[in-house]
Amino acid sequence: MFNFNKNGIHVVKYRVLWMCLSAVLLLPGIIAMIYSMITYPTHTPLKVGIDYTGGSILQYETKQNVDNKAVGKIQTQLSDAGITSAYIQVLKNTSKTEKDNMSIISVRTKFIDEGSEQATKIEKTIQKDYKDAKLVQFNSVGPTLSSDLFKMSFIALLLAILAMIAYISFRFEFKYGISAILGLIHDVVFVTGVFSILGLLFNVEVDGLFLTAILTVIGYSVNDTIVTFDRIRENLRYNGKKYSYGEIVDASVQQTITRSINSSMTTFLALAALYFFGGSSTKDFVLAMMLGVVIGTYSSIFFCSMLVDFWTEKSHEQKRPAIAE
Amino acid sequence: MKNKIIMFWVIVAIVIASIITICKIPTKLGLDLVGGSRIILEAQTTKSITKITPDTMNRLQTAIEKRVNKLGVSETTVAQVGDKRLLIEIPGVMDSKKAEQILGKTAQLEFKQPVLDKNGVQQRDPKTHQPLWESAGLTGEDLKDANIGTNQAGQWTVSLDFNGKGAQTFGELTEKLVGKPMAIYFDGEEISAPVINEPIYGGKAEISGGGDSGFTPEEAKNMVDLLKAGALPVPSKIIQENTVGPTLGAVSIEKSKTASFIGIGLVMLFMLLIYRLPGLIADIALAIYGIILFALFKAFGVVLTLAGIAGFVLSIGMAVDANILIFERTKEELRAGRNLFTAINSGFDRAWSSIIDSNMTTMITCVILYFLGSTVVKGFALTLFIGIIVSLFTAITVTRNFMHLIFGTGELKYPELFGLKKEEIGTASVFEETKREKARFGILD
Repeated sequence: MFNFNKNGIHVVKYRVLWMCLSAVLLLPGIIAMIYSMITYPTHTPLKVGIDYTGGSILQYETKQNVDNKAVGKIQTQLSDAGITSAYIQVLKNTSKTEKDNMSIISVRTKFIDEGSEQATKIEKTIQKDYKDAKLVQFNSVGPTLSSDLFKMSFIALLLAILAMIAYISFRFEFKYGISAILGLIHDVVFVTGVFSILGLLFNVEVDGLFLTAILTVIGYSVNDTIVTFDRIRENLRYNGKKYSYGEIVDASVQQTITRSINSSMTTFLALAALYFFGGSSTKDFVLAMMLGVVIGTYSSIFFCSMLVDFWTEKSHEQKRPAIAE
Repeated sequence: MKNKIIMFWVIVAIVIASIITICKIPTKLGLDLVGGSRIILEAQTTKSITKITPDTMNRLQTAIEKRVNKLGVSETTVAQVGDKRLLIEIPGVMDSKKAEQILGKTAQLEFKQPVLDKNGVQQRDPKTHQPLWESAGLTGEDLKDANIGTNQAGQWTVSLDFNGKGAQTFGELTEKLVGKPMAIYFDGEEISAPVINEPIYGGKAEISGGGDSGFTPEEAKNMVDLLKAGALPVPSKIIQENTVGPTLGAVSIEKSKTASFIGIGLVMLFMLLIYRLPGLIADIALAIYGIILFALFKAFGVVLTLAGIAGFVLSIGMAVDANILIFERTKEELRAGRNLFTAINSGFDRAWSSIIDSNMTTMITCVILYFLGSTVVKGFALTLFIGIIVSLFTAITVTRNFMHLIFGTGELKYPELFGLKKEEIGTASVFEETKREKARFGILD
């Protein structure tokens, strides 16, 4: 089992490199988040959708081809009709059931109150150029609900992290617990960072489901880390007297790496199927989880384990083997 | 071995029961899949009602339920969420405006008498010169029934039937107001203000729309529906609405089906390629997992939504995690030269704590999401949670049973079946177990 000298990877040897790689992975996202917080009117690190800001989205489907030039035209027509600050997007909806490719014109406005004429006005304006356009989806979130969601999201995130801390400290000693939590934050920052960048570059907005993805990533990321740590402890118990801590970590990573990669692979494959073939409204949600699965596996091997190694070396300086005889 | 065979038949029985359940019970599809409207109403406080009590909410719910039923759509839901909100789901309806009109109205019918000065002449507002009215103590609450009808002029009317107390009040009121006008207000808007010619006893009255045109048939019918359903105890406001057209829903179902099958297929192929014969067993266990899970969803009436399907597909990827942990461990034990029975047993036992850990953390997340999340998020959390429980059964009990039945206790003759090379066997060193551990892992050497 301890044949790592012959073949296999020696992660501990390059631990400084892995730490730098983590920094490289996280930094662009962090910069994007700070930039977003300064520039967005909502002062949030992500571009938030109507779930969080309140507002209405009306989606019209048409068989006609809608190019991006048309967006500007619709915008002018709408503001002529008295609908100002509307945000228009064109989505393509290809499906097997329909022979023709459908275009979806999505109009985002301020919250449309009940009984207001706004919805009718928008429909009439769109139908000027696209006679066959018909409303296929309407989402509207009032300002009270969106501020509730903000609070709820914050509580949920806090609770999830606290629950993980509680579980890990119940299962492991302090040093492992802290490393696992840092790994968890590492993963959350990475996924949020990527979505912050996507928001800046491609106007990707996050909705209530994004938080769900983040929480799922938290659960997933911690479990990978726990499996690796579990192995470190087991090896330490059986072989701690013969080998140094670094060697134990190396061997443990080697023993668990196949499992980590394989089980992430299956989850990733299932998610990829959803991303490429599944419904369009859960695409971003699935993307967030895919990113989370990959970074979660990376962090449990190359971030958390290295942290534990660094930590032990600090406290056991020059002390070999890992457990004194 | 006898126990193993009994277990095998238990598993077969569960699978058969699940298949029957799947065939018998129809799938409940969420509004994002069948199309329809999801509306959240919030009760508003007024000057007279400053606090929303549970009792108010119950009355509001009953009134809204009646109105929703009037739409003539099956499988509607009206449920309280939080302490002042109602969630209303109306499947299959794309015209959300009609629903909104019906739900948003307070439907308060009120009879008003003129404010009179000393000379018995109706006072007018000094600024707008509009006639002034005051409450006459008679409202829609005093009605027994309302019906649509026509009058001699051929206009659409709403005929009212008062209850005992209402009939008395109405009689007294018309007696008092002979020769004077009486105004009828609906939702704060004046509908008509006819002049009373003679007292009306017997508790029957008729409202026409006033003016030359009167009511349109739709207006009359809407009003009758609202009057029959009763007034809302407090005004309520729509704070969230999601409407999905039926065509979009159909496309989503189609896509979700494809994605689920491709997802399962990819995971199965992966397991087969990497783990060979045990992989095939894991694949059978995964198929059983899918069948049991789907049957449970149907039995518990879990509503399938897009997010729920995402949870389901995610759980497929995670379900084989336990198998991967076990197989990796078994392979290690085989490399260490253990015989098959021991390798399989200690593979399962050694992986156990890791399996519990990996599933616990996800389950904790699910619980938090379920209690804090919106309806959509709840669907995701519930499917994922049930999925994990079922996967523990299939990935551990079912797989272990099949492994033992197929491999028995013999030596490993064909390491290729496990994806191992012959020369790998016996290369790895073994931990020294204590006697207790040996007993626990069922180690035979």
